[in-house]
Amino acid sequence: MKIRTLAWSTFGSFFHNWLILILLMVCGAVVLLMLVPLMGMKAVTSAQNAAQMQTVVLNMVSGIMTFVSAFGSLVAAWAAADSVATEMTSGTILAVMARPVRRWEFLLGKYLGTMLLMSTFVVMMFALSWLLAWIGGERIQSTPWVLLAYPLVRYAIWAAVAMALVTLLRPILTMGIVFFLSLAAWRLGSADFDEIQRVAVRNLVRVAYWVLPSTNLLSESRFLEITHASLKQTGWLEHVTTLAYGLDYALVCLLLAMWSFHYRSLKRD
Amino acid sequence: MATPAIEFHNVEKVYRRRFTGQEVTALSDVSFEVGRGEVCAFLGPNGAGKTTSISILMGFLYADSGNIRVLDYEPGDVRAKAQIGFMPENFAFYKYLTAEKLLRFHYLLGGGEPRESLNRIGDLLQQVKLTGYDQLKIGKYSRGMVQRLGLAQALLRDPQLLVLDEPTSGLDPAGRKEVRDLMFSLKAAGKTIFLSSHLLSEVEQICDRVIIIDKGKLLQSGRMEQLLGAGDRVEIVASDLPAEVEPRVADAGGTIERGPQGVRIVIATTQKRELAEQLWAAGCDVVSIIPLRSSLEDVYMKVVGGSASTKVAPSIPTAPGVSELPV
Repeated sequence: MKIRTLAWSTFGSFFHNWLILILLMVCGAVVLLMLVPLMGMKAVTSAQNAAQMQTVVLNMVSGIMTFVSAFGSLVAAWAAADSVATEMTSGTILAVMARPVRRWEFLLGKYLGTMLLMSTFVVMMFALSWLLAWIGGERIQSTPWVLLAYPLVRYAIWAAVAMALVTLLRPILTMGIVFFLSLAAWRLGSADFDEIQRVAVRNLVRVAYWVLPSTNLLSESRFLEITHASLKQTGWLEHVTTLAYGLDYALVCLLLAMWSFHYRSLKRD
Repeated sequence: MATPAIEFHNVEKVYRRRFTGQEVTALSDVSFEVGRGEVCAFLGPNGAGKTTSISILMGFLYADSGNIRVLDYEPGDVRAKAQIGFMPENFAFYKYLTAEKLLRFHYLLGGGEPRESLNRIGDLLQQVKLTGYDQLKIGKYSRGMVQRLGLAQALLRDPQLLVLDEPTSGLDPAGRKEVRDLMFSLKAAGKTIFLSSHLLSEVEQICDRVIIIDKGKLLQSGRMEQLLGAGDRVEIVASDLPAEVEPRVADAGGTIERGPQGVRIVIATTQKRELAEQLWAAGCDVVSIIPLRSSLEDVYMKVVGGSASTKVAPSIPTAPGVSELPV
C-alpha cells in the first residue's frame, strides 16, 4: 500500500513538473514537425514514383520512431533522477521519511512511479507507430507486445541507472553521465572489437561493452522490419532471455541505488 | 517500569566534507533521556546541534557513535516511526496538492485505510482551523497556514511521540496560543512531546523538562521546576528599612525598591537570614521572604551566554561544563 501510494504520488508529480512537461512537449513538437515532410511526401506520391516515395516515407517513419525511442530513454533517466532529487532539495523527503516507510520502499515507490510515466509514454509511442505506419501506407503486422515490452525494459534500465547515480550525485551530473553512457552503449553495441589493434584497448572496450547495458540488443527494431512493418520470426526463448537480461540489469542498478540510498544522509540539500 | 520515550547516550556526530576531508563536530558526547508522557524542550542557539539531534532521532542521519533508542526501537525503525508524529522546521510540501490530498497521502503512508482517512482529515483540519481551505492548493497558503498543516500531518496517526521542530514559527500570537493550547491537550492525553523552539516563554509554560545544548555539547538537562527553582536570590518585603541597614544591603550586592506597601529588597539567598535578623532587631516588620524563581530565559542566557552565536555581552559568564539536575 505504501509503495503504491508513493508510486501514484510520483506519477502525479510528473504532471506538475515543468521540465518533464517541457521534455514531452518538445518530443511532441519534433514528431509533429517531422510529420510535415512525411505528409508532403505522401501527397506527391504518384503511380510512377510510388515505390521510390514509399521508401522515403518509410525511412522517415523509421527516423521518427528512433528519435522518440531515444528521447524516451532520456525522459526515463531524468524523471527517475528528478523524482528523488526534488524531494531532497525541497525537503519534502523529511515528512515522507518520518512515516513508517523504509528507505528501499521509498526508492521503489519512486522507481515504479517513473515506470508508470514511461508505460504511458510507451503506449503513446505504440499508438504513434501505428499512426505513422498508417500514414506511410503500411500496416504493422506484428504482435504488439514487442513494441511495448522492449522499450519499457530499456527505459527501466536507464531509470535504474539514473536512480543509482542520483543517490550519490546531483541530478545534472547524473544526466550528463547517463547521456554519455547511453551514447557509449549505443556505439559499443555496433563496434567490431577485432578491428581494434591494441590488445589493452580492445580488452578495455570489451569490458565496457559487458558493463554497459546492451541497448542495441534490447531494441525492438531487431525484430521489426520497418520497411514492411512486420515482425521477424524470433523464438520465445530469445525474447525471454533478452528481456530477462534487461530486467536483470535494471534490478542490479536498482539494488545499487537502494544500497547507496540506505547509507546516505536525508536532509534538505 | 516503562522505558524512556527517547534515550540518547554518548552520541557523537561529525560532518565530513566529501573532497576536502574537513571535519565539523555537530554532536559531542551528548546524553539525555525523555520519559514517556513528558513534554521536553530542546533548546540551544542556531547551529547548536538541535536539528542534527532530531535528524538522528528520526533516522535521517546516522550517528558516528553512541546508543540511541526511540520508543524502545532503533531510530528509523518503522515500528517506532508508526508511533511518531514529526513536524520538521520549515515544513515542506507538494505545492500542487490541496491540504486534503496531502493529508490523505500521509495518512496512507502511515498505514491507514483509505476509507477511514476522510473523517480523520476533516477533524484535524478543523482542529488546526484550516476548514474551508482544504480545497485550496498548498502553494497558495500563507506561512502560518503551512505551519498549521504541518502540525495536522504530525497529528494524523494519533502518535505517542511528537517531535516538533519550531512548531510556532510563522504563526501570529493567536495562532501561537492555539498551538500552545493544543499542546496542553496533547500533554493531558499523555503524549510525549519533544519540542525544539526559540520561544522560551512558551516553552516555560508547556514543558516539564528542558535540555540545553550548544556547539554540539549538552550544557543542561533537567526538570523545569528544578531548573527554574535553582534561583540564588530571595525577595524580602519589610515595613521599613533603617538607615544603618541600608549600606549592608548595598555591600551584599542587594537591590532596594521603596513603594507604598513597604520596602522590597532582593538579596542573595545566603544573606537572607542575617538581613531578616537585622531588620527585626531594628524593629521593622518583615512582611514576606520569597525565593525568587528564575525565568527560563534567565537560565538559558546564563547557560549559553557567552557563546558567540547568542551575541550576548562577554561579561556574562559561560556555564562551566554540563550540569545535570537531580530528577
